[in-house]
Amino acid sequence: MFSESLGAALTEIVGARQVLTRPSELLVYAMDGLPGYRKHPGVAVFPRTRQEVIDVVRLLAKEHVPFVPRGAGTGLSGGALASGTVLLGLNRLNHVLSVDAENRLAVVEPGVVNVHLTKAVAAHGLHYAPDPSSQAACTIGGNVAENAGGPHCLKYGVTLNHVAALSVVLPDGEIVSLGSADGERPGYDFVGAFVGSEGCFGVALDATVRLSRNPQAVRTLLADFPTTDSAARATSAIIAAGILPAALEMMDNATIRAVEASIYAAGYPVDAAAVLLIEVDGLAAGLDADATKIHAICRECGARDVRVARDESERTKLWQGRKKAFGAMGRVSSHLVVQDAVIPRTKLPEVLREITRIGVEQRLRVCNVFHAGDGNLHPNIPYNANDPDESARVQVAMGAIMRVCVEAGGTVTGEHGIGLDKLEYMSLIFSDESMDAMCRLRSVFDPERRSNPGKVIPVHACREWAMSPAAR
Amino acid sequence: MKMLHAETFQPRDATDVRDFVRESASHRAPLRISAGGSWLDAGYPVTPCTVLDISALRGIVEYNPGDLTLTAGSGTTLAEIEAATAEHGQWLPLDPFGDGRSTLGATLATASSGPLAASSGLPRDIALGVEFVDGTGATARGGGRVVKNVAGFDLVRLLVGSWGSLGVITEATVRLRARPECDVTFALAAPAGAESLAQLLRAFRDAPLAALGAELVDHRLAQRLGVGDRALVLARLAGNADSVAAQRGTLQSLGDVMPVESTVWGRLRTCEPQGTWTLRVSRRPSALAELWQVAASTTATLETAGLHATIERGIVRLIAQAPHAPSLAAITTTLATAGTVVGERLPPGCWTVLVAPVDRLSLGVRKAFDPQALLNPGILGGAA
Repeated sequence: MFSESLGAALTEIVGARQVLTRPSELLVYAMDGLPGYRKHPGVAVFPRTRQEVIDVVRLLAKEHVPFVPRGAGTGLSGGALASGTVLLGLNRLNHVLSVDAENRLAVVEPGVVNVHLTKAVAAHGLHYAPDPSSQAACTIGGNVAENAGGPHCLKYGVTLNHVAALSVVLPDGEIVSLGSADGERPGYDFVGAFVGSEGCFGVALDATVRLSRNPQAVRTLLADFPTTDSAARATSAIIAAGILPAALEMMDNATIRAVEASIYAAGYPVDAAAVLLIEVDGLAAGLDADATKIHAICRECGARDVRVARDESERTKLWQGRKKAFGAMGRVSSHLVVQDAVIPRTKLPEVLREITRIGVEQRLRVCNVFHAGDGNLHPNIPYNANDPDESARVQVAMGAIMRVCVEAGGTVTGEHGIGLDKLEYMSLIFSDESMDAMCRLRSVFDPERRSNPGKVIPVHACREWAMSPAAR
Repeated sequence: MKMLHAETFQPRDATDVRDFVRESASHRAPLRISAGGSWLDAGYPVTPCTVLDISALRGIVEYNPGDLTLTAGSGTTLAEIEAATAEHGQWLPLDPFGDGRSTLGATLATASSGPLAASSGLPRDIALGVEFVDGTGATARGGGRVVKNVAGFDLVRLLVGSWGSLGVITEATVRLRARPECDVTFALAAPAGAESLAQLLRAFRDAPLAALGAELVDHRLAQRLGVGDRALVLARLAGNADSVAAQRGTLQSLGDVMPVESTVWGRLRTCEPQGTWTLRVSRRPSALAELWQVAASTTATLETAGLHATIERGIVRLIAQAPHAPSLAAITTTLATAGTVVGERLPPGCWTVLVAPVDRLSLGVRKAFDPQALLNPGILGGAA
């Protein structure tokens, strides 16, 4: 796939320092946030300007070379892995191009780090709402590709709900503008189609994103439950009571212990079967009434204790434990798999029981840390990938958990994407006809299917696709 | 399936729809998708053809109040959904203009929304899953029945707002919301001058309010709604009692405030009799006062017309009565220089003023999902 002449042509566009070809240099790009997969790109190229991105994409179009767009590489589904193809790193396009505070909009390059955008607009009393746990590293371009979520998406919505417009270079080099920040745009919702397309529809050159006003006030509660069942019931009860928390997160005992044993210790009760981290925000008036109501509901559902963060530092600490929980599990074992299924919220108690049963059956430790309010589960299984027997049991458990979630009426991924990791599960939820329709949509954007080939839709599901050069 | 008369087919279920579309595709026979019938006069004029009446695809398929999601056949009316969800203190926060006979399928297909979109999002934000039959007769499903889902390419967003040109939606899943504890409406007097109106709108958008909806209404519409004879802002405040009390105080700091019956929102939704012409024109919200002035002066001589604007979204909507048709092409032309015009219901001459999407992607998806352009032919102008 990769030739000397292509390397030279790329170098001509971006300069020698922005093109990596040596295996030792490429090693770091052989993985993303998903453990267990290693794919070596043929070459990695890092344009620094919009024009360089366009020129690179046009060169690859001319040569019919497949490529994989990549932001920070924090994705959890293997979506940014390139096998022998060109890896197109967008993380050097990291400028906030403009901020329109009055209309709460910002135009950003794809490589802007999620939390940097929030910092850049903080002086206006604004923030960018989608907050994946990797927000200190992940980029807006990657968030757009994955339709990233995060704890606060329960109230504020996912990336899709926050993108007004995009400039995109299609894989054949044509530049198109999707959506509009200047009022409505008649016609099909191509922003909606592009967000979450996992890099298969082209490369975003800039994104116009909606900003949210900082809430006047916030109340963060930690509720301690003697069983996961009671915590799950409280989750449903809070939402059924008409309260829409900004976030409603659950951590089970295994997670709590991992966090408390780490440098991210947040003061979670280590003997709790589960804790709920609940945040309400918005106008100051009325917030205490909501917090009181939540307190009462948790107690009614069997909470042993409910406490409210007294100040910003306690709130930060409670959130750090949650956001760094994956990191904390690094102490437990060398490898970790994380799933991302979503189930109807009311099915939480039974599905959590099933997950526990599957863990016991496969002699694995399953740690649950997830967006309970959305029913978006993240069962984590720490394991040793160098132990073939354990690895095999992990695979069995993952498949079994996925089937339980789908049977409960759920889906296989809520925010991490299909990538490579969940290809095998697509047929659990979509018919071949549905996947074929998805392939047809992709072909409108990328008829040669060169942008991030082999991701999202299993090759067997699309005959036309299976026969394309990129898939072979 | 039931044949009503020579040119209307009424399928009983999604399988019927699929069979009928396949049959039509084999004969290259175009189809006009219909259910409640309230949208048949909207969009670019459609080439007359056989009507595919999906109103029998009606009924709630799944509704578990604890999940705040609802799945229903696309022919289910918004009124039916409202009745079923109200029992549990919930609602589907979609209030498109028209009456409760509008169906879920048409609301999603046309991406129609009303004042609630300011707080609760557009149909694209509320739709969780769709099942549809495309122009080749293939049945596909996008999304699912859960509130968060990134599996596969997004056929839901593609179908919502596609005006039936990519597929016949047969079933949809939507996100519901709990009805707020308090839901009260106030009217705030709106000044006439451009600069003072701009100031008020800016102050309103910056104010600590959690409005479910906020519409600027001109004097003509105010009269018709029975809320006086001056331009005003209708603000629908929601939350718990403490929150609403505080918001009311905030509103009073912005100007003269008077309480208004919440029924005003229902009247705003239904104040357009059949045969009314409507269009929207929009820019960034900060330009709303300017846009409003253009719309007001352009339509000043139309006594029975009316204007309202969604403050949060920067969209002005013109409601004009049937006799205004001759002036509408000129008005549309003027408005199109001030902002982006989206036609809802317009006399034929106006559509030529608007720019239909004819870009490669628009033409490409139409071709990919309806290669013979059989579904609602012409409804999107250029692309379809």
